Amino acid sequence: MINATKKWIFLKISGAILVPLMLWFILNLITIYDQEYVNVVNFFTNSLSKFLFSIFIIVAYFFSALSISEVFEDYIMNDKIKNAANRLLYASAVAIPSITIILISSL
Amino acid sequence: MENKEPLSPHIQIYRWHISSLVSISHRITGIINIIAITLICLWASLLLLGESNYIMINSFLSSLIGKFIILGFTWSFSFQVLSEIRHFIMDLGYGFELKTTKISGLLVIFGSIILTVVFYLIGKNFI
Repeated sequence: MINATKKWIFLKISGAILVPLMLWFILNLITIYDQEYVNVVNFFTNSLSKFLFSIFIIVAYFFSALSISEVFEDYIMNDKIKNAANRLLYASAVAIPSITIILISSL
Repeated sequence: MENKEPLSPHIQIYRWHISSLVSISHRITGIINIIAITLICLWASLLLLGESNYIMINSFLSSLIGKFIILGFTWSFSFQVLSEIRHFIMDLGYGFELKTTKISGLLVIFGSIILTVVFYLIGKNFI
C-alpha cells in the first residue's frame, strides 16, 4: 500500500471518529462557554467528558495535521518551506493535545 | 530545491460553482477549526490559574464579541461535520451527478447555518 493510500485511509477513519465527537463537543461548548468557573471545571473534571474531550482533541489534531499537510502540498512550491511547515504542524499536533491533557488532569 | 510538480490551479481562474465554494470553504473551516480547538485547549488549560483569574476570561466570553466568536466556531464546526458527511457519501460512489452535487453543496451551506441555530437553542435550553 502506498503512502498516499494510507494517508487517505487515516483521514477517513479519523474523520468518521471526529463527526460524533464534534457534535458532542459543540453542544457542550455552547452550554458551558459563559458559565461560572465551577461549572466549567466540573465539565473538564467529569471523567466521561474529560475522556471524550481528550479523544476529541487527539483525533482533531491528527485529522487536521493530515488535511492541512494536503493544503501545503497543493499550494507551497518550495520544498524546504513545505518540509519546515509540515514538521511544525506535526510537532504541534503532538504537543498541544498532550500538554492540554496533562494540564486538565491536574484540575 | 524547487518542486517540479504542478501546484493546484489558482482559484480565481475557474468560474465559481457550488461544489468549488463548498470545497474551498471545507479547507478554510478546517483551518479555522484547528485554531478554534487550539484556543479551546488554551481556555481549558487556563482554568488551572484559579477562579479569580478566570473572571477576565468569563467576562470576555460573556460579551457580545465572545458570543459572536463562539457562534462563528459553532458554524465552522457544523460546516465541517456536514461537509465531511458529504465526502463520506461521495467516497461510497454516490452523488457525483451535477444536479446532486449542487443540491448536496447547498445542503451543506444552508444546513450548517440551520445546525448552528439549532445547536445554540439546544445548548442554551431554549428547546
